[in-house]
Amino acid sequence: MMLVTQFVLGVLLAPLLQGAMKSMRARLSGRPGPSVMQPYRDLRKLMSKEALAPMHASWIFLLAPGLLVGVSTTVLWLAPSLVALPLVLPDAVAIALTLALGRFILVLAALDSRSGFEGMAASREMTFAALTEAPMILALASAGLGNSTPIGGALAAVALVIVMLAETARIPIDNQETHYELTMIHEGMVLEYSGWQLALTQMAAYIRQIAFFALVALLLPGDGLMPFAWMLALAMIIPMIERALAKLRLFEVPQLFTTATLLALASIGLRIVGVISW
Amino acid sequence: MMRVVGFIALLCVSVLALASIWFHGHVAIVPVLEPSLLRLDFAVTPLAIPFLALLALVLPGVAIWNLARGRGADGVVLALFAVSMLCVLVAQSVAAFVLAWEVMSLVSTFLVATMHEKRAVQRAVLSYVLISQLGVLCITTALAILALHAQSYEFAGITAHALSLSPLAKNVVLTLGLVGFGSKAGLMPLQFWLPRAHPAAPAAASALLSGIMLKVAIYGVLVLVLQFVAPVPVAWSIGLLCIGLITTMGGALYASVENDIKRILAYSSIENMGIIISGIGFVLLALAFNQSFIATIALLAVLFHALNHGLFKSLLFLGAGTIAQTAGATDLRHLGGLLRILPATGVAVLVGCMAASALPPLNGFVSEWLLFASFLHALLVAPLMMQAFAAVAIAAVALGSGLAAAAYSKLFGIAMLGERRELRDPHLPTTADLSWLGLTWLGAGCLLIGIIPTLALHPLMQIVTGMLVPSGPIIIPMPPLALGVLPLLGVLLAIIIVRVRGVRRVPTWTCGSPVTFRAQTTATSFANPILVIFASLLRPQRTLTVSVVAWFPERIEYETRLRYLIDETARNGAALVQTIARRLRIVQGGRLRVYLAYALVAVLIMLAIAR
Repeated sequence: MMLVTQFVLGVLLAPLLQGAMKSMRARLSGRPGPSVMQPYRDLRKLMSKEALAPMHASWIFLLAPGLLVGVSTTVLWLAPSLVALPLVLPDAVAIALTLALGRFILVLAALDSRSGFEGMAASREMTFAALTEAPMILALASAGLGNSTPIGGALAAVALVIVMLAETARIPIDNQETHYELTMIHEGMVLEYSGWQLALTQMAAYIRQIAFFALVALLLPGDGLMPFAWMLALAMIIPMIERALAKLRLFEVPQLFTTATLLALASIGLRIVGVISW
Repeated sequence: MMRVVGFIALLCVSVLALASIWFHGHVAIVPVLEPSLLRLDFAVTPLAIPFLALLALVLPGVAIWNLARGRGADGVVLALFAVSMLCVLVAQSVAAFVLAWEVMSLVSTFLVATMHEKRAVQRAVLSYVLISQLGVLCITTALAILALHAQSYEFAGITAHALSLSPLAKNVVLTLGLVGFGSKAGLMPLQFWLPRAHPAAPAAASALLSGIMLKVAIYGVLVLVLQFVAPVPVAWSIGLLCIGLITTMGGALYASVENDIKRILAYSSIENMGIIISGIGFVLLALAFNQSFIATIALLAVLFHALNHGLFKSLLFLGAGTIAQTAGATDLRHLGGLLRILPATGVAVLVGCMAASALPPLNGFVSEWLLFASFLHALLVAPLMMQAFAAVAIAAVALGSGLAAAAYSKLFGIAMLGERRELRDPHLPTTADLSWLGLTWLGAGCLLIGIIPTLALHPLMQIVTGMLVPSGPIIIPMPPLALGVLPLLGVLLAIIIVRVRGVRRVPTWTCGSPVTFRAQTTATSFANPILVIFASLLRPQRTLTVSVVAWFPERIEYETRLRYLIDETARNGAALVQTIARRLRIVQGGRLRVYLAYALVAVLIMLAIAR
């Protein structure tokens, strides 16, 4: 019952989280920014509009947004941190590979649209995804193992935050607010979506984001209401990261992912060593 | 006519393989005269059953495809090839095994050489013959050592004497066996022949080569390490794990930057063999540390992945054959938009690509998930050294599966979606044929055991527990159910909204410029970020020639070549062998007198020794 409640709450609050972060980021830049409720209004407006599809685009293009929502809700369902249930270990792999399923179909949809921008974004997405899979599984595994030391948990959390920055299209890897097609990754892949189809892809992105927040909170110490506090803290920290950093050059991003992999390995390594010395 | 004969022959072999699963007897062909060295024994062991089942499952698909699209006499040769693999799987004596293995190698060479007019095929055949003869030599020597030690030419006798094998003999046998079976399985660094030979064969033959023959090599490795030389020293299990992981990452990396569909599939086969071998290494490691639960789950994953890879890879090779016949090319740079022309084949190929990328809810996902589950479980309970290897293995297999997903999204997205990428002749007229039924048979298999994995896992579990005898009852871990259900609901949601609301078709947005097929991403540009990131391993070489006529570039030529680090090393070794062979060619004068003189000298030497 708790699980269902948190799942429904997660889906309902996902746009609010996005709105809060967007508004926070605007404030930090010295702009008044949109209301925190803006994503809900956007979704309602988009849902009421008709959808356009490129000529000759196949059924894969048409069905991809629905599948994305399904994938994001699956990940949210598998991330049980809010009621302090431990993560079942192999679920780490299930989460990573389910995300890969959504990505695979979205990349196919992007290639189906015949737009050069979308193909370029798809290529970058697949490259980065190949490099984030290892840190994601290792960091989540570290969560599932239960951390013997707070340092180990923190290392894994940092690794997962780096993965999350990539998965949720944030600076320094990607930029949600760019309007320049050549630099987009996630936004680039959904360029051809409009109306209710765009609403579905946006909703999927919001749900995936809140699921990632929950997963990071799981790696940090504390139970009861602490995970919620951690999620709120993350919602404050990530806009700050976005404000403080510039977007990395494309081929410097892999170094960031290598760092994340090493951090995640170190987190597991600390646990192995921890058995000996603590 | 020949096609129908081939079709029936293939189906017969399939039925034979299926029937042999329930056959419990023992067939022995004993020569009238001693020595017992030449006796041929055949029996079905539990370990062979998953591989026989794979043979029985794949053959109908190949048979249907070959009936609809194959060349006349291919079917009969394919059936012969299938029979030889069946014989390898049921061989229970040294002579039977070596004989069947050699027949399998020879028939497969004929299949690779089908299109022998092409220069590239000739080269592929040469390297294939070289590597298979090296393999046969190693395997025969290894089996001979074992047989001499056990004083028995039957596999049962060899297995019974495994414990008393000296460490030196063990190391020699393992080295020879792994070179023999590993070269057949395409393990690095002996993989260089595979991406040439497998694509050179006709599609139906490639499907059997990649789908089943690689698994026969895996069967050989399993027999060697679990029966003939058990228990394997810890150093060897670590070595096997490392070779497997390197092969996984390397195969996936090569696949992700390759442009030819059949070569992508061949490299992906190398990747999957790497996954399986690293799983076997982990099984041995777990056995050495008395972790029977981990060993059981890992062996289960290994057998299941072998089965799954056989299904989806044969499906994909058949799909590549259909693509080649429809578009006249397998180079992704010339393809595009085939899903519209081949709707049913396209869906089946999509299923195969997703299974090969280990995506839920398909079979490839379940087996990789199980393997990860065994690694993760090791992190929980195993000794520290094993934990360290498990963590590294997780990272390597994750990188491999991520790169494989990049390769397959490229394969499907470029070939099947979008628009054709080159102005060439229009697609060949497609006559309605039934080749898609063969693909659908295999695709349905992938989907069925992906959604209900217990169908395959329960029988496999019986075999595994029979072989490893774990200490307690073992519950097979299962991936969460939500994985299949929620994405399916999402797709249903999308179907309903599309039905109710519809979509309006408009031209693609290209910033106002005219929409042209040239604006699409190509296979080369799709893979470019990976190429740049891994440039030190792939060593790309670019040549750009711009001929300028009166200030304006008249013509631009651009070429990218990859010089793989590992291949280069192997090629240097091969060049050395060739040089030596060229020196030795003087011996082969081609005159009868000289050869008679050789025979005389040989007889004299033998007499001298025997005296």
